[in-house]
Amino acid sequence: MAEVKGGPDPYIYVCTRMRVRKSKLIPREEYLRMLNMGLSEITRFVEETQYKKEIDELATAFHGIDLIENALSWNLAKEYQNIQKITPGTLKELTRAYLRRWDIQNILTVIRGKLHGERPGKIKEVLIPAGELNKAFLDRLIEEPTPERIIESLKGKAEYPLLSKLFEGGVREDLLPKAENELYKEFYADLIAMARSGIKGGRQFLDYLTLDIDITNIRNMFRFRADQSSEAFMDVAIQGGSISPQVMQRILQIRDLNEFIDALVPLVRARPLRELLETLREEKSIREIEIDLIKVQLAEMETMSKLQPFSIHPILAYLEMKKYEIFNLRALARGKESNLPPDRIRGYLVI
Amino acid sequence: MADAATAVAATEMTVEMIKASQIGMKALGAGLAVGLTGIATGIAEMAVGSAAVGATAENKDVFGLVLLLTVIPETIVIFGLVVSLLLLF
Repeated sequence: MAEVKGGPDPYIYVCTRMRVRKSKLIPREEYLRMLNMGLSEITRFVEETQYKKEIDELATAFHGIDLIENALSWNLAKEYQNIQKITPGTLKELTRAYLRRWDIQNILTVIRGKLHGERPGKIKEVLIPAGELNKAFLDRLIEEPTPERIIESLKGKAEYPLLSKLFEGGVREDLLPKAENELYKEFYADLIAMARSGIKGGRQFLDYLTLDIDITNIRNMFRFRADQSSEAFMDVAIQGGSISPQVMQRILQIRDLNEFIDALVPLVRARPLRELLETLREEKSIREIEIDLIKVQLAEMETMSKLQPFSIHPILAYLEMKKYEIFNLRALARGKESNLPPDRIRGYLVI
Repeated sequence: MADAATAVAATEMTVEMIKASQIGMKALGAGLAVGLTGIATGIAEMAVGSAAVGATAENKDVFGLVLLLTVIPETIVIFGLVVSLLLLF
């Protein structure tokens, strides 16, 4: 149990709430049932679960796929904001730090939208104000006339120094991937520094970060293998996992899949991840590999939350599972909208 | 020297004094039995109660069940009370 000033009861309280919320997530059988439903049936089903309030609120403004998408995003943002409110002490700081990844995603979405000349309403639909930047701030960002002005508006925020440096000569589309990589690298570096600063519960948070970074790096390695290139891997590799980027770069040079897995497996710390890598010896599509990696990450987070029941782990496990529930429902709705066969949609679900 | 003093003191104690001392020790034991078990119950209920409030906040239907779970640590203090009553009477 994480050390807490003033007793562990707030930790027990919030971790129990997270566990109850986790039990309310849509189970696997329901997804399988939804695969055989139409879009309107899915909307009705979703309305009967925890998304009722959002669907009712937005039903007058949106219809069909837009209604589901907006209701899901809105629910996710509200849920994350609510969790930040109820978490106590250092757990709040850690949760806030973790949720900063949504700020990065939102900022990049707004900049991309502006570069492509999208109208503010359209950009707003895809934002998920789940991080530190709230809805009102993001609305102001969207209303800025140019991407350069957007970056200026971020003055005082954690992302500003890096963005202002990267886009010194103006915001260009070709610089965005680099900006994205650098922002995520800085994000993880900040989280690791925070976890190692001696903050209560920092050790458990570091365990999660190591797992997350490992999964992200391994996913990127498989992506680079699929693209048959390894030149730019160092640009996306994140420091702080159990394998150093230099070693990963070296392993990435191995073209034979069996030898690649042989070199990678001994370096991975988490046993379920090692077991998964062993199953990847047969050729799989990158999408299948990504879904498998997410499943392992969620299973491992669940194990961690059981080993450390009153720490940051139950909160992070719930946040991640909720995120993938939204992804699943969105994939289902999108798939149905595009008339994809159920088997094809099932391949996109994390269940 | 000390042994001689104790021997003198023991010889000076009357039966009434010894009985009174025994009653005092019994009362002390009974007090400790209730007090310490009360503290233990409090610690146990702190954890169960926090979880109970958390669970009820998310799902009001479990209120009856968690109330029952919250009072289960009360058994510790009841054992203490029984022991103290046995000591006293």
